[in-house]
Amino acid sequence: MGENKSNRNLWVRQMFRKRRKNGETEKKAHSLDITELKEQLNKELNESPDLVFRVFHRDDKKYIIIFISNLVKTEIIDEFVLKPLLESKGNINTTEDILNILPLTQVNVTNQLMEIKEVLLKGSLYLYKEGEPFGIIGDVKKAEARSLGQAETESLVYGPKISFTEQLSTNLNVIRNNIVDANLVMEDITVGRRTKVNGKLVYISDIAEEENVNTLRQRINDLDVDHIQDSSVLAQYIEDNSWTVFPQLITTELPDRFCLALIKGKVGVLLDRSPAAIYGPTTFFSFFESTEDVYMRWNMGSFIRMLRLVAIFLSVLLTPAYVAVLTYHYEVIPSPLLVSLGQSRSNVPFPPIFEALLLEFIIEMLREAGARLPTKVGQTMGIVGGIVIGQASVEAGFTSNILIIIIAISALGSFTAPSYIMGSAIRIVRFPIIVLAGIWGGVGIMIGFCILLIHLLKLSTLGRPYLTPIYPFSFHDLRYSIFRLPLQYLGGRPETNEPTDKRRYPLKKAKTIKDVDE
Amino acid sequence: MKVNLYPKKAYLFNTFLVAFIIHAAQAGVGIAGLPRIVFLTAKHDAWISVFFAGVLTAGVIYIILFMLNQYESADLYGIHYDIFGKYIGALLSLIYVLYLLSACFIIVMNYVEIVQAWVFPDLQTWVLSLILLLLGVYGVLGGIRVVVGICFMSVILTIWLAFMLSAPLGHLDVTHLLPIWETKTLDIIKGISKTALSIIGFELLLFVFPYIENKKRANFYAQMGNAYTTLLFTVVTLVSIGFFSEVSLTRTIWPVLSMFKIIQFPNLERFEFIAISFWMLIVLPNICIYLWAATKGIKRVFGKNQRRYIFIAASIIWGLCFFIRARYQMNMVTDWVGRISYGTAFIYPVLLAAIVLVKKKLFKGGKKNETSS
Repeated sequence: MGENKSNRNLWVRQMFRKRRKNGETEKKAHSLDITELKEQLNKELNESPDLVFRVFHRDDKKYIIIFISNLVKTEIIDEFVLKPLLESKGNINTTEDILNILPLTQVNVTNQLMEIKEVLLKGSLYLYKEGEPFGIIGDVKKAEARSLGQAETESLVYGPKISFTEQLSTNLNVIRNNIVDANLVMEDITVGRRTKVNGKLVYISDIAEEENVNTLRQRINDLDVDHIQDSSVLAQYIEDNSWTVFPQLITTELPDRFCLALIKGKVGVLLDRSPAAIYGPTTFFSFFESTEDVYMRWNMGSFIRMLRLVAIFLSVLLTPAYVAVLTYHYEVIPSPLLVSLGQSRSNVPFPPIFEALLLEFIIEMLREAGARLPTKVGQTMGIVGGIVIGQASVEAGFTSNILIIIIAISALGSFTAPSYIMGSAIRIVRFPIIVLAGIWGGVGIMIGFCILLIHLLKLSTLGRPYLTPIYPFSFHDLRYSIFRLPLQYLGGRPETNEPTDKRRYPLKKAKTIKDVDE
Repeated sequence: MKVNLYPKKAYLFNTFLVAFIIHAAQAGVGIAGLPRIVFLTAKHDAWISVFFAGVLTAGVIYIILFMLNQYESADLYGIHYDIFGKYIGALLSLIYVLYLLSACFIIVMNYVEIVQAWVFPDLQTWVLSLILLLLGVYGVLGGIRVVVGICFMSVILTIWLAFMLSAPLGHLDVTHLLPIWETKTLDIIKGISKTALSIIGFELLLFVFPYIENKKRANFYAQMGNAYTTLLFTVVTLVSIGFFSEVSLTRTIWPVLSMFKIIQFPNLERFEFIAISFWMLIVLPNICIYLWAATKGIKRVFGKNQRRYIFIAASIIWGLCFFIRARYQMNMVTDWVGRISYGTAFIYPVLLAAIVLVKKKLFKGGKKNETSS
């Protein structure tokens, strides 16, 4: 008991322990003697077997190159470090002389033990000439990266299909190429007390509102966690409400989507080793926007966007409505329809709520199985599972035909959301509403709907309301989120991002309506 | 206690939302039974009563805003404190809080009654009232921003219900309305007083006023909200009188819901089931905003955390539900609150406005005297 308590105390103390800031690493210069330096580093890096010390002599002076063999490209070291040093004529006296003959771009001069340790872990080498006060850090990183590929989770029919990769520098390169603007700011951020993952806070300085940038920056800086696995995890750490099912920051793997958001005045975060970028502030409706709406003509774009909203609405309410009507309000259905409904349900021994929950559960299982299995098996699995379970469960008298249709529609509806996370949120929200419908019928559905409404009203994203432009109502912004108007009306930026630079092109040029025959 | 409230800028809401607040607070459970109640006294001229009740309300709204504009950013509680001092002011504020809570109570109870009468006869009163109050608490915990949001969304999402009145419009018998103004004027005036319970809600201006962004423009939007309510109520009454015969209207407790019965879609019948479920969205802003105003008042008087008062107030209202066992008791309570509301919403603000004005004149006069002498 006592031990338990002291353990907990320790844990609490650790939780509240003052965080050591990034710049405040311990200051300690390493030894000037190469053998001692070796020992020091071996101690710091726990005698790691892949830590390589290459000692050589030139002009009777002792040199050492230190690196971690798995992290560096040894060819570069051979070609651009060892070769020039061993083959160059002339005297080498100071560290500066070495710098002058090294054909490396990213070099640094230091003697701090902690710094050396950190850069070694990030794929640099440390070159030191015995007796000198400083040594040289050179970047010879070997990064395993895949080439730019097609987006998988957010697929577009029409428009650019390139996707972010796991490597930060590649992603930054893509963004820089997309937005050629001197005001594009990429601030350095580091997350993870232990692993120190690099990242960038990206925004366009004369468009993005300063408060949004500050909020996001502060939240990332205040974050005290040892390791961040992926940007989606970071998004969860820094969002406003972590209890809700609804995501409050968009994670996207499409560079064009990210860049469009930046142009509209959003603030983004990129993290090394994660193929998705985060941006915010994002409203509820921006999860139902796809860049494809912009690439398509405006009428198609508007239609698709509204189709999505209707689909989501049906997806949430259709199954509960079925349950409510068949359990309590069968008077609502006209008699001809009721007859066919009754016939299809006549063999079903379960109450509607059980039937609906069962089928929804099966659909979810199918989806999950399809997602986990290898692609080839997954497709067969999906088709076979869908048909077999659908057909067989009706024939076996487990469910009614009509419910199968309804469940299929609502599953389809939830998959229309361009954001996978939002689609999952919609699917989860459906279950409690089905249960409420089974208990209190139509009133139950409305209870669920009211809870959902209040909940959405309460949510915020980076401190800004989640449900804009509906509430707080902004007529100006409806054209950017719910509709997609012709381009001549899209000359501004959404007010809800509070952009500093409000217009994308002057109003005068947009509205030139010519008279007939002129 | 301070007279003026200066909320943070983030909590101020856009001025046009005042229209939505007023309308959402006015339209509630009352409208479902309004035509019959007024019809009982004003007969087939009931719609005139309803219309004049709306006009009267417009006047009272004007006076309320006139009074509020005498202060920089005050609510009723602040004015009480300013005029009557610490103790009497607090007492009056608490009396008003009691009225607000009782209004909240009858809104909840009347909705529960409708649900029991039409959809679930066996549903326990305490279950549904508990759920409604929890919804209210959940909303009010979000603060004024969420409460106003609920008002706005409620109006937006239920506006289509008004168009459903077009179905009974085809079965209207205009002769039911003739001859116009046949009823005694006294009865029509009595009819106005019967409308009180349905049309109250505008007095909440007294509490949301400090949170309005542009206080000078508030009057316009408040009048717009009230005008829409008046129009809706009058049309509903007109249609009910035309649709039902005299006898059946006196016997139909919720004529509006009964009219929904005849609406048919190709795949939908008995529309009233949907309407009644949807009615929850009309009732929700009422519960939220009354609960908010009441708990705000308790906070203003006693200080400390509003959160706690919200839970306490909601549980008191819920506790009261157990005392109502029969329809006639409910009727009696509703009647009583209706009568009280006539005083608290219509007469009292006007009186208070007069006192504020007199005090201001006196105060100014005193100041002038001081400076001159």
